[in-house]
Amino acid sequence: MVQAQHRARVPDLRGDIGQVLISEEEIRNKVRELGAQVTADYTGRSVTLVSVLKGSLPFMADLMRAIDVPVQIDLMEVSSYGGATTETSGLVRILKDLSSSIAGRDVLIVEDIIDTGLTLNYLLRYLRGKNPASLRICALLDKPARRLVEIPIDYTGFTIPDEFVVGYGLDFGEFYRNLPFIGVLRRELYETA
Amino acid sequence: MTDETRFAHASEAELSRILDYYGVRWEYEPRTFPIMWGLDGKVVESFSPDFYLPDMDMYVELTTLKQSLVRRKNRKLRRLRELYPDIRIKLFYGKDFRALMLKYGRVDLAASLSGLEGQVAADRINSRLKAEAELAAEVDDVTAVAAPEMTPTETRWSSSEASGLATRRRRVSRGSRRRRGRRAFAAARAVA
Repeated sequence: MVQAQHRARVPDLRGDIGQVLISEEEIRNKVRELGAQVTADYTGRSVTLVSVLKGSLPFMADLMRAIDVPVQIDLMEVSSYGGATTETSGLVRILKDLSSSIAGRDVLIVEDIIDTGLTLNYLLRYLRGKNPASLRICALLDKPARRLVEIPIDYTGFTIPDEFVVGYGLDFGEFYRNLPFIGVLRRELYETA
Repeated sequence: MTDETRFAHASEAELSRILDYYGVRWEYEPRTFPIMWGLDGKVVESFSPDFYLPDMDMYVELTTLKQSLVRRKNRKLRRLRELYPDIRIKLFYGKDFRALMLKYGRVDLAASLSGLEGQVAADRINSRLKAEAELAAEVDDVTAVAAPEMTPTETRWSSSEASGLATRRRRVSRGSRRRRGRRAFAAARAVA
């Protein structure tokens, strides 16, 4: 629905941003910092990074290059409430599963943002069932004001205020993902009533 | 669980669907907490949070009324926290619910599922849920699942909250009520 509304208007990629919340440089520094923490914690081991499409892609790509231990990567995609599959199944569906087994491996879930925690809570339960040696979470953004399900986050980039943010993988109607910074979308673009 | 529950508000029904979708167990208004007693020891005020999430041991109270109308609920919540400090409860305001709808691409439904309009839509949703339950039970009588007429839903407001709403209703013009009704009806149809 949002996508349908959005198609009628070509987004003004930078003009639609009301405020830059986290600059490109701040992101770069934070990713480097997180990479160093992960490297220290996994020294002498390898780690499998599992990213959830699509929002986490830029963060995953940058983080993996900031980690200095052997890394394997895998990607997952899950359906979202309100998406095309909601009415038919009524339950989360794994749209893309892991490509290889994570049994016995140290796994780090790489997330762009954690707000309600509902998707991640589902993923945690799903991945725990695959018997990894360890399972940790690295989130670039944490929006605790929206939390419905408490999730233990092992590595957090930024704790952000209760704003609708886009950029660096985060979208609105599938746009704005390619912005190199994280910005607050102008309210009038999604306020309809 | 959804099939058996009669929700007081459309936003609660929507939240239950979201929780179901992500496999989070919930109970609807499972417990009432006394928060004020009279001199004779009788309970004069209580609070029943909308949802309990047993896996998180957390209650969720959802209120989609305008901020100016949630003062009473905020006071009850403060009282609850004073009396039951071990209880974990999260209050979801209208703006939180709206953000949730935005996140899931359903922001166009947010207004219709909120506030006074949501009470109308709740009746529609409850009817749909009832119809689904009947279908699931393989009831042969097709007429049993026909959509009922749109009527104002039952409410679970306290008397003072209800009077506040009544006051608010008087301020709304007839044309505005018609427009809201049409939007709520359209939203209910979209949900159904």
